[in-house]
Amino acid sequence: MKDWFKSGSPWIWMTAGAVSISLISVIGLLVMIAARGLGFFWPADVYEFDVTQEGKTQTIIGEIYDREQVPAKRLRNMGIDLGDHQEEMVERILVKTGNREFVELDFRWLLQTDIDKTEKPAGIGVFERSRNGNFYGYVEQVIQDGEIVDSQRLEELINRAVDISEKAVDLQNGEIGSINYRLEKMRLEQRALELENKLTEERIAEFDQEREELKAAYKEFEKELFQLRRALDRDEVVVRDMRGEMVTLRIAEVIDVHFPNDMSTLDKLGRFFIQLGKFVSDDPREANTEGGVFPAIFGTVFMVMLMAVIVTPFGVVAAIYLHEYAAKNTVTKVIRIAVINLAGVPSIVYGVFGLGFFVYMLGGSIDELFYPEALPNPTFGTPGVIWSALTLAILTLPVVIVSTEEGMSRIPSSLRQGSLALGATKAETLWRIILPMASPAIMTGLILAVARAAGEVAPLMLVGVVKMAPTLPIDGNFPFVHVDRKFMHLGFHIYDVGFQSPNVEAARPLVYATAFLLVTVIVALNITAIGIRNHLREKYKSLEH
Amino acid sequence: MISVSPDIAKIKNVVAPADLTAEQTALQMNDLSLFYGDKQALYNIDMKIPKGKVTAFIGPSGCGKSTLLRCINRMNDLVDICRVEGEILLEGKNIYDKDVDVASLRQNVGMVFQRPNPFPKSIYENVVYGLRIQGINDKRRLDEVVETSLRKAALWDEVKDRLHDSAFGLSGGQQQRLVIARAIAIEPKVLLLDEPTSALDPISTLTIEELINDLKETYTVVIVTHNMQQAARVSNYAAFMFMGELVEYTDTNQLFTAPEKKKTEDYITGRYG
Repeated sequence: MKDWFKSGSPWIWMTAGAVSISLISVIGLLVMIAARGLGFFWPADVYEFDVTQEGKTQTIIGEIYDREQVPAKRLRNMGIDLGDHQEEMVERILVKTGNREFVELDFRWLLQTDIDKTEKPAGIGVFERSRNGNFYGYVEQVIQDGEIVDSQRLEELINRAVDISEKAVDLQNGEIGSINYRLEKMRLEQRALELENKLTEERIAEFDQEREELKAAYKEFEKELFQLRRALDRDEVVVRDMRGEMVTLRIAEVIDVHFPNDMSTLDKLGRFFIQLGKFVSDDPREANTEGGVFPAIFGTVFMVMLMAVIVTPFGVVAAIYLHEYAAKNTVTKVIRIAVINLAGVPSIVYGVFGLGFFVYMLGGSIDELFYPEALPNPTFGTPGVIWSALTLAILTLPVVIVSTEEGMSRIPSSLRQGSLALGATKAETLWRIILPMASPAIMTGLILAVARAAGEVAPLMLVGVVKMAPTLPIDGNFPFVHVDRKFMHLGFHIYDVGFQSPNVEAARPLVYATAFLLVTVIVALNITAIGIRNHLREKYKSLEH
Repeated sequence: MISVSPDIAKIKNVVAPADLTAEQTALQMNDLSLFYGDKQALYNIDMKIPKGKVTAFIGPSGCGKSTLLRCINRMNDLVDICRVEGEILLEGKNIYDKDVDVASLRQNVGMVFQRPNPFPKSIYENVVYGLRIQGINDKRRLDEVVETSLRKAALWDEVKDRLHDSAFGLSGGQQQRLVIARAIAIEPKVLLLDEPTSALDPISTLTIEELINDLKETYTVVIVTHNMQQAARVSNYAAFMFMGELVEYTDTNQLFTAPEKKKTEDYITGRYG
């Protein structure tokens, strides 16, 4: 035994154990999030249950969402009749029944003892709708323009409706949005001239004329939009729901229908990927509990990149001064320690600072100086993506400074001397030798910064993130990049969907899916950065002295 | 006694360093002292370094020969606590004057270090580095300089097909010749070699020594070495330094065959160092 201790084996076991535990927890985390999140997109089978509760028998149609074991004793104490159930535990299943407007609860717990019969009948359709969530039922009639047609054409009609409504949305966000944007710009322009006392009758007439033109164009687009909407209203589908009643659904509201019980595994796989694609590329609907998260992905990536663009030059320049020019004395040491410690300040504190300094002071001043015409409406004096990026840039600045400095100090002094001996000045040596060679270290700093920034939520809630941003920070209206706009963020989206949603049960898988997506986005950003770094490393690989 | 190479021995009537005329002198040190903080490293050195010749500094480790060499292109400026007294005249101008631009001084006084220190760039970019610093970017001119410098450094034939490959792909000896090519690409007047072969194998050393012999046609070469055979082989003049003092400075032949000072004799006969 003593020999065993002496041999160092216990030490190896202990260290290897620590590594294994870390590895298992990381992998476990990823697997759990991925399984829960991705499972959401798999088309689940729909069951029909015959249930007898308190003497009444009814049919319930829905997906099995969750299962749990409940002690029978507890249920009996609550006065629930379990019949002749003998075992200690009773299984309880959570069923998602959909049809939100016709039932009190679209999620329902069913006791296994109450279920008389469970089956998986063919022909149940799952209708994904633009409001009120899913609808489950049997297709009875498909009505095109008032006439009953072959039920096989349902899909075709739905696709037509989806196309039309996409067109309508494009029109609304594109052309009509652009006209509104220009009208607002013009109003501000006129107001600006008025403030400067340069508004002449002539100009007013010009403005009025331009406005009339835009309004006329608007009327045209509006007409087009109404036409599209009328066309959309044409078709209907009649569905028999779990109560046995006929419900007429407007096809305009149906986004998608599928019949999971009739699908083969391959069909399901295909649908899985389509749904996943929609989740990544669509806008959210119904208070973020349905639809996709595209604006949140876009907002996250855009904000992080903006931050990277801000933090890199700042951090590198600061590191250059600290390492190259600052005298090597106590003051420099204190500054360095202070910089390193900045990384330990809680992020919400940066959020408060960002709100106070960037948004109110800096943004407010910008508004007063450059956008007086819009006041009292703030332009930059309100949370926005630029302030978020700046706040996170400060938050991640220490990381970049520290790793850049480390990289610079690792460069062999012989190279520095070699450059100086060829008649280069210190600045030239810095530009041509030191900075290129430190670039892998700078990238390391950036990787750490991006990883930290992409995951931060708390400060963003104060300086720019919103639950629902109507427009992306980049669009087709001049100047195309609108850094003053508010944006959506995956991290905040998780919080919002998980805790602020009207239907927490329905949103739960979305939380996992979004979390998985956030991890994926961060990993993707990091892998890109690591790829660049390895390329640079290879390029500037120093001699092994 | 160390054998002196025949071509040097053949030269009769070698001018004693002290008798060099202003025209024959590349560098002149007057009463040069150097301090690291409170510690004095060089003591009142007076010497004339001849133009177009190879001058070797020899002496035991820590005697100040590298420090003296580094004074010539003001590399010691990089050391914060270093202080220089006295003067070094390069073409009659004191390089320690306040109005001297250190960067342009170093363009005139090139330096090659103990270990090869190529930049993490291509062979081509290594050679033209100094020119680019001077703002020369004309492709034809650069190509020309690359070829002539590499030829002078006896490296052209080995690398002409891979000029744009990384310099790190070269062997140690090739790297050191590349560094020499890099230094002579900017056509300095004086070339300082700080133990240029101490990190190399004997064959590379030989190549470099032959190279040094060729270089003295065009440049004034000052070489620091603790290898006495090497000093005897490559240099025209040799200075023996000890504890920061210049003990003896004369033509190489005489220094190795008939040293005047006891210390010099002890050193070259191997009694210490």
